[in-house]
Amino acid sequence: MSNYIVYLEQLEGLFAGWQEKYKLFVPQEKEGFYFLEEYSPEAEISFDYDLLYNPPKSFIFPPREDLIEFDLKTYKSKPLFTVSPQILFGLHPYDIKALNQLDQVMDMGSVDVNYRQRRDNTIIMGLTPLRVCPEAFWGSVNAFNVDFGFDLFWTKIGPATFLVEVGSKKGEELLFVNGRVDKATSAEREVARRKKQEIVSLVQKQNRLKYSWEEVPRVLEKSFDSFLWAEKSRKCLACGSCNLICPTCYCFDILDEVDDKLNKGKRYRTWDGCMLESFAKIAGGHNFRGRAAERYRHRYFRKGKYIYDMLGELGCVGCGRCVRVCTARIANPLEVFNVLWEALSYER
Amino acid sequence: MKDKFSPYVPRVATLKAKKKLSDFVTLFEFAQDNGKPLAHRPGQFIQLSLFGIGEAPFSITSPPRSDHHHFEIAVRKIGTVTTALHNLEVGAKVGVRGPYGSYFPMHKFVEQDVLFVAGGLGFIPLRSLLNYMLRHRDEYGRIMVLVGTRNPKERIFIDQIEEMKKRTDVEVLETVDSPDETWKGNVGVITTLLPKVKIEPESTYVAMVGPPVMYKFVINECKKIGIDEKRIYVSLERRMKCGLGKCGHCQINGINCCVDGPVFCYTEIASLEEAI
Repeated sequence: MSNYIVYLEQLEGLFAGWQEKYKLFVPQEKEGFYFLEEYSPEAEISFDYDLLYNPPKSFIFPPREDLIEFDLKTYKSKPLFTVSPQILFGLHPYDIKALNQLDQVMDMGSVDVNYRQRRDNTIIMGLTPLRVCPEAFWGSVNAFNVDFGFDLFWTKIGPATFLVEVGSKKGEELLFVNGRVDKATSAEREVARRKKQEIVSLVQKQNRLKYSWEEVPRVLEKSFDSFLWAEKSRKCLACGSCNLICPTCYCFDILDEVDDKLNKGKRYRTWDGCMLESFAKIAGGHNFRGRAAERYRHRYFRKGKYIYDMLGELGCVGCGRCVRVCTARIANPLEVFNVLWEALSYER
Repeated sequence: MKDKFSPYVPRVATLKAKKKLSDFVTLFEFAQDNGKPLAHRPGQFIQLSLFGIGEAPFSITSPPRSDHHHFEIAVRKIGTVTTALHNLEVGAKVGVRGPYGSYFPMHKFVEQDVLFVAGGLGFIPLRSLLNYMLRHRDEYGRIMVLVGTRNPKERIFIDQIEEMKKRTDVEVLETVDSPDETWKGNVGVITTLLPKVKIEPESTYVAMVGPPVMYKFVINECKKIGIDEKRIYVSLERRMKCGLGKCGHCQINGINCCVDGPVFCYTEIASLEEAI
């Protein structure tokens, strides 16, 4: 696909053009953390953010999503789709990879129509990271680069210059919304390549899986009865924060709500988490993962094995959000994967 | 936006009859308002909606019938949805999604002996298969039914079980774990019934549903008799929420009970640590 050059001063015009049709979300700083927030000309865009506090999944798989609307008297119901076109600007490769993974699991088998509808109305614009958060390890779980899943991909190659890779026809059209922009030269493409390389080296130097990511499922397979699950989970508060903050977690609960006149209501889904105590509990009280160690293990097996068995890649993209958010300091997948591997090599 | 298809929109059904099966369990007969049969197979489940209360999965206990559109579920009053369901009057509306999930492989059972092992409420999903086979009795070999209940008060479908005991083409054995003064029959857990039936392991399939604790013991006994693992079918209970393989609640290791199950051949789950 083609590569173009966009200068910083052109951005405001582009953004204004896009906002005629789309809601535009860009990384912005709030009290020391970074969030994707709606763009306004006054907004200061954090091109050098290290990590978005919230995972971008919330824009396509919102924390609460209405599924149907029902009438309690007639028992008629109809589906609800509340979607507006949106652009997510500035996603790092690992977050795009997480969305690609959600695309796959949501389309698999019974297509999740609500997710699909939102996804089809979302433009993804990637951005090469300029900084790395201290908890990140995306450099060693095959999440430092994405070949697809974006409409445009931006790399800052100079103080006021971006190289823009085109990922889709729609993306290119958006880039030309105010007229054509310059094509990138091979020298400029080389600078972008080096910029990407530099940041990958940086994250790899900082935190690293001690073995190939493709070995993780096999390491887990041999570690089902490891002491680690009980030892770590002893401190687990069962708060579910690691689930909510995870860009690839997509478990949900389905609930009803009724208006104050008991005439009409809505059925909606809301994020749920396998770390919550009642997640696998059935009527009658039996809990299929009643112990914290079982729930804790389940989460890492999902990230490191079950998703791999389905898709051929890890369900962890190494963003570091769970590491950051866990108050008990037990949620570091890198540490879990490394410790298990070390224990196995010791046994050998 | 115009109405698009969503799998979360239930069809409307009407409660046609209610029958108390025990102090805790009631049989509910529904008919879909669209006049169509549910088109389920034995072992499958539906998601039943009571708008404003919620949705819950229930095994279908009636056999598949193309000739009429009524279907039955049997429900223990235990949570919010089941309590509200028990409060419904005949004529009330409910929502139905499904049928969902895998089912017992009826084609494999043809001309074979089938051993039913029903622990407690496990008789409910098995009854769909059992009654289907009884309706097509000539197609199958021996039908052996083992029923185990915690105590005589919790027995369900007593009329049907007593009626079957009188038949010569069905072998029925029943036991309770803790008897009371009314109980004259077998006492003990369900595995104590197995030695009492003469089973030909080469021609017998097993269909088993019961509380989580039951499976391991019964499967071990079946293997001791010489029944091949490939001939053992189980149905597993989990907390199905979406029924579509997405929400994660019913996951057993890497599989989803709602789409990969609830009926499994034992060989499919033998290596799954979380299954039984």
